Amino acid sequence: MNATVFLPELAVMAMALLMFVVSMAKPNAQRDFTLAVVLGAVVVAAGVASLRSEGLLFFGTYRIDIFSQVFKIALGVGLLLAISVCLDFKGVDENLHGEYYTFMATGTLGLMMLVSSMELLTMYVALELSSYSLYVMLPMRRGFAHDAEASIKYVLFGAVSSCIMVFGLSFIYGLTHTTMLSEIMPQIPVLASQPLGLAAILMTICGFFFKLTVFPFHAWAPDVYQGAANETATFIATAPKVGAVALLLRLVTLAGVDGVGLVKVLIILSVASMTFGNLVAIVQKDLKRMLAYSSIAHAGYVIIGVLTLSELGYMSSIYYIFGYLLMNFAVFMVVVKVSQDGGNVSIEQLAGLYKRAPLLALTLMLSLFALAGIPPSVGFVGKWMLFTAALEKGYLWLVIIAAANSTVSLYYYLCVVRAAYCMSPGDLPAVKIDMPTRVMSYVMIAAIVGVGVVPAPLIEMARSAARTLL
Amino acid sequence: MPVLLADFPYLTVSILSPLVALIVIMLLPEEQKKTIKLVGVASAVVSLAVCLYLYWAYDRTVGGIQFAERMDWIPGLGIKYFVGVDGINAPLLLLNGIVYLTGCLTMWELELRVKEYFAWIAALVAGVFGVYASFDLFFFFMFYEIGLLPMYLLIAIWGSTRKEYAAMKLTLYLLAGSTLIFPGLLALYTYSPIKTFDWLILSQQHFTLEQQKLIFGLLYFGFGVLAAIWPFHTWSPVGHVAAPTSTSMLHAGVLMKLGAFGILRIAMQLAPQGLVYWAPTMALLATIGIVYGALAGLAQTDLKYIIGYSSVSHMGVVCLGLSTLTVDGINGAVFQMFAHGIMTALFFSAVGYIYDRTHTREIYDLGGFSKIMPVASAFFIIAALCGLGCPGFASFWAELLVFVAAFQVYPVKGVLAVCALVIATLFALRVIMRTFYVAPNPKFTGPGFADVGLFLASPRIILVGTLIIFGLFPRLMVDVIQTAVEPFVRTLV
Repeated sequence: MNATVFLPELAVMAMALLMFVVSMAKPNAQRDFTLAVVLGAVVVAAGVASLRSEGLLFFGTYRIDIFSQVFKIALGVGLLLAISVCLDFKGVDENLHGEYYTFMATGTLGLMMLVSSMELLTMYVALELSSYSLYVMLPMRRGFAHDAEASIKYVLFGAVSSCIMVFGLSFIYGLTHTTMLSEIMPQIPVLASQPLGLAAILMTICGFFFKLTVFPFHAWAPDVYQGAANETATFIATAPKVGAVALLLRLVTLAGVDGVGLVKVLIILSVASMTFGNLVAIVQKDLKRMLAYSSIAHAGYVIIGVLTLSELGYMSSIYYIFGYLLMNFAVFMVVVKVSQDGGNVSIEQLAGLYKRAPLLALTLMLSLFALAGIPPSVGFVGKWMLFTAALEKGYLWLVIIAAANSTVSLYYYLCVVRAAYCMSPGDLPAVKIDMPTRVMSYVMIAAIVGVGVVPAPLIEMARSAARTLL
Repeated sequence: MPVLLADFPYLTVSILSPLVALIVIMLLPEEQKKTIKLVGVASAVVSLAVCLYLYWAYDRTVGGIQFAERMDWIPGLGIKYFVGVDGINAPLLLLNGIVYLTGCLTMWELELRVKEYFAWIAALVAGVFGVYASFDLFFFFMFYEIGLLPMYLLIAIWGSTRKEYAAMKLTLYLLAGSTLIFPGLLALYTYSPIKTFDWLILSQQHFTLEQQKLIFGLLYFGFGVLAAIWPFHTWSPVGHVAAPTSTSMLHAGVLMKLGAFGILRIAMQLAPQGLVYWAPTMALLATIGIVYGALAGLAQTDLKYIIGYSSVSHMGVVCLGLSTLTVDGINGAVFQMFAHGIMTALFFSAVGYIYDRTHTREIYDLGGFSKIMPVASAFFIIAALCGLGCPGFASFWAELLVFVAAFQVYPVKGVLAVCALVIATLFALRVIMRTFYVAPNPKFTGPGFADVGLFLASPRIILVGTLIIFGLFPRLMVDVIQTAVEPFVRTLV
């Protein structure tokens, strides 16, 4: 067996253990940050090194293929990006930094194991590992007592979603007498045609709808995003979604080629998520809350690709969620840098950003336009692919609704851009950005626009990942 | 259809020239306003030179798509970078080049946030060049959205009357149009047996009548929002009024033509049977737009509102020409796109000069400007006469062609359209009288209201010159347009 087969997971485990050891030493923000960044880079490198690995580990419960490895690279990148905004870590008290990075690592480990799981219980344990890590990270925010609501909501919602998921898993086991996905697959035509089988698959997917903030499992998102430290929100908004999409794609292939019942449900959920998310985002005043509702809407778009049950659809969802990782991260990076002492940022507090921090304003604007699906950006190409895949399968009305939702979403993104560019700064303070942030901004702008103008490499990678699913 | 590949990437140069200017301007500091403006003008000169060359060098005897550049971009999705010049987009590329140059020169006196303004204008113009040049649906739509979005900030930051409202309304309305265009374009890909977004290949595919009706409907109404088709035109006058001068010039002169161009290039040429089905509706909405625009213009007292509504009326003439399905009608429509674009750029440029000094556009406040600023007034009056279809200017030939074709195909609508000309004459002459010929308002007689000097007049002179050249030698334009329109109309019969 190739040594690189388990490399990313080993790298993340090493990071978790090292940060745990470091957390027991005297608190030193600078040292913790540097160590975390270096280890994060090692994780990404490990992922890239193991891209072409193939294998079936742990008695066949754990599969390594292009699909899983591509997602592990994305998760590694998400981890590294989320660490990089912790340079001037205002949101969490210094003596908790070590623990914070530890749990980030274990959360990423859980997500990585999730995308490779081929067995129901492995899947569940990996999901819980990532969820618990996030549950613990949330209350670490400075001034915990004030934001307890967000943490408790997160735990409760997460717990309920996990319960429903385990319930569904138990039904699948009951119907198929096995927990190995490879043995469940051949039994699918029989499974999906029974009402109980359909219900079982749906309940199982619920756990991932929670992480992906699909309606009606979205209710935790606004409060959690608002209540979390800005840096924590950056991580919650990006990495778990990537993992959830990976598992969603693996599970939907369980429905077989013509899982009509499942598709109907997914269409309803997709439309509900998009519409609800976009409409409620319009009235938000707090920036992170608005981003939470927008993430509900984007979950709706991603599901469009999933429900087509075609290679083009899966490819589009994969491409879109990677692009979403970049775009969302860029916006949250701006939020982190603009906030005073780690507090929440309202849209009005962005006023005059074009004068206070022109580079951040530019990054914000480009990533918001990318989220709205305006070219030349990765968001535009993603939406183009998603809608093409949906129309190929004949879902004309779904495409029209989704395109209309894109226009609606432009309104609230424009409100933020308006605040940043058209309003005068008043007495809001200047925002000083250091060289690393400057570099990150340029990198993100180049990534968002570059991957939009020359999307072919990422598209081909998404295609090879999608092929291994089918 | 013959496709002649280019030996030098002229079109890519003309698209990249404003983008290079954008990057250079972003790197310059805000204090160097003169340099920024010079960079903008320089890139405009480069693009215009390229477009002039392409227009002149286009071989009328061969026709087809010339100076083409075609390379695979995303082979997995059938997306190519495919740009070229044919009879229909050659005049429009030229139009864009002229309006970009004259727009930059018109804004020479801008002081507020110069860097961002010229950067956004460059992005917008690059998008428009891309749309006109594209023969691939993905790039067409991509450049289309790139051209639309800068309008929001251009109006919201540098605009005047009700700028925030106008900016938001315009942007949301135009992107709502995209909501219909997007599925329309994707439907072409979906229903075609060969999975591609290449326009040339799609034009040879066969779509069923039902599919064509759906596609044409989606695209017509989607692009129609940008082409200010009644009743989806309400964003247009509000947007024109609020926008700063060169933004209005580009907007009315070039962007609105994008909508009509989209209808012609994509909806009409790729779904011709759908066109035949929808043509009567097109003609009806176009005629209503012509008459409505003229009547609404009659009630206005703000100079820019008047121009805005007359734009709605003139775009109606374009759509009426397109709906006649005859060579003369479509020739006239494309000619009108060019002529109206130049004319409206001249209009806004002239109004801009006056507004910058008087800070009012109410015709009852202004007065006697032909005594105060004779040359500046002359520009506006020329534009107004041109708008009436006065012979000697390009618009005369354009409107003549459209009305002759309209009489033949839709006699009643043709008569109504010509009647609207009379109403247009009424409000144009009233505006001219009120603004330029009654007794001067004493507020505006004084040293601050000097007449326009040669340098500032240069953009307006260029525009007037263009109108006169094509007014005296219409074959220069019609011959080029015809090479593309004639083969197309033959396929309709």
